[in-house]
Amino acid sequence: MESIAQGVAQRVIDLVVDALDVNMLIARIDLNVVLARVELNSLLQRVNLNEVVKQIDLNEVLDRTDLNQIVDRLDVNKLMARVDINQIVSQIDIEALVKNTDLGSLMVSSASSFGTEAVDLGRSHAVSMDDTLARWVSRIRRNHTGRAEPPELPNAPEEP
Amino acid sequence: MTAPAAAGQLEPVPRNVGVSPPVPLGGSPQPHAPLSTRETENLRGQHAGFASRLAAFIVDCAVSIGVFMLVLSAASFAASVLTGSSIHWSRDSTWVVVAFFAWEFLYYARFWTANGQTPGMLLLGVQVVGQDGSRVGSRRGLVRTLAFPLSFLLLGLGFLGILLGRDHRALHDVIAGTAVVYCWDAREARLRSLAREGSGRQP
Repeated sequence: MESIAQGVAQRVIDLVVDALDVNMLIARIDLNVVLARVELNSLLQRVNLNEVVKQIDLNEVLDRTDLNQIVDRLDVNKLMARVDINQIVSQIDIEALVKNTDLGSLMVSSASSFGTEAVDLGRSHAVSMDDTLARWVSRIRRNHTGRAEPPELPNAPEEP
Repeated sequence: MTAPAAAGQLEPVPRNVGVSPPVPLGGSPQPHAPLSTRETENLRGQHAGFASRLAAFIVDCAVSIGVFMLVLSAASFAASVLTGSSIHWSRDSTWVVVAFFAWEFLYYARFWTANGQTPGMLLLGVQVVGQDGSRVGSRRGLVRTLAFPLSFLLLGLGFLGILLGRDHRALHDVIAGTAVVYCWDAREARLRSLAREGSGRQP
């Protein structure tokens, strides 16, 4: 009996749903009123945004986005004023940049010659020798002045 | 205030600027470490060591003695052309000795009072500055030149301060209130070296 009633109800619901024009129904609903009654924050808390983002095809989104229009609306000066250029520059590995790019060749052709290279080399060697000498001297001085007497052990056992 | 650098000369070490920040002149030197990227960044303004100063002095000796010999030869040649009889200079001649020491005095006094750098110092990238990092000036430059021979006359003991002293100052530095610091841009030199290395590798 119960199964018959459930079957009838199911059938009635199907007939009603089929008879409904959903688009027309949606058109008659004021979505803003509906949204106003929805607690968006609690809804968002229950949504895993990472999962949502994962499912978005960003390339497709970007293809459909007019970036020029977005850039036009940006106040670049205001944006740059908030950027710490020094911090960005400090993160750049200038040595790697000079070594691996044409910037290095440019520097060499514009500022360097055999004479400069020889002078740089000579100075570097002199500084290295300065350092070596200073280390030797500091080691000798430590050996002469820094050797402390061995501490006296408390309750040292007497030798037989 | 420092005067703008003349063309072809190293920029003088400005007063308390460009001197390596953790080591104000007259203060304690940093522990020495092998020359590395970090070290070269902070080299400018540090007290110059014995080897750099000795190398600069050797270059200066070669330059000053060379110029002196050249002048003597030129004078001898001019005399032989004008009078027909050549002059033979002898190291035992009092005049030659006096002229030599006068020339040496002028040589060092001229360069130290001008910008604290002799040609040898320029080559090695070291510079005489005031004890506080200021320009050496005429008075201190002159006093330093006068006191310089003292370091030799005391059997070279006047130079021991460069090796053993915390500020690497010789006797004539102490007397004149000066110090010798590195003034070359080691960071720039390192970048040049890397650039050469990089351009050598690129096809």
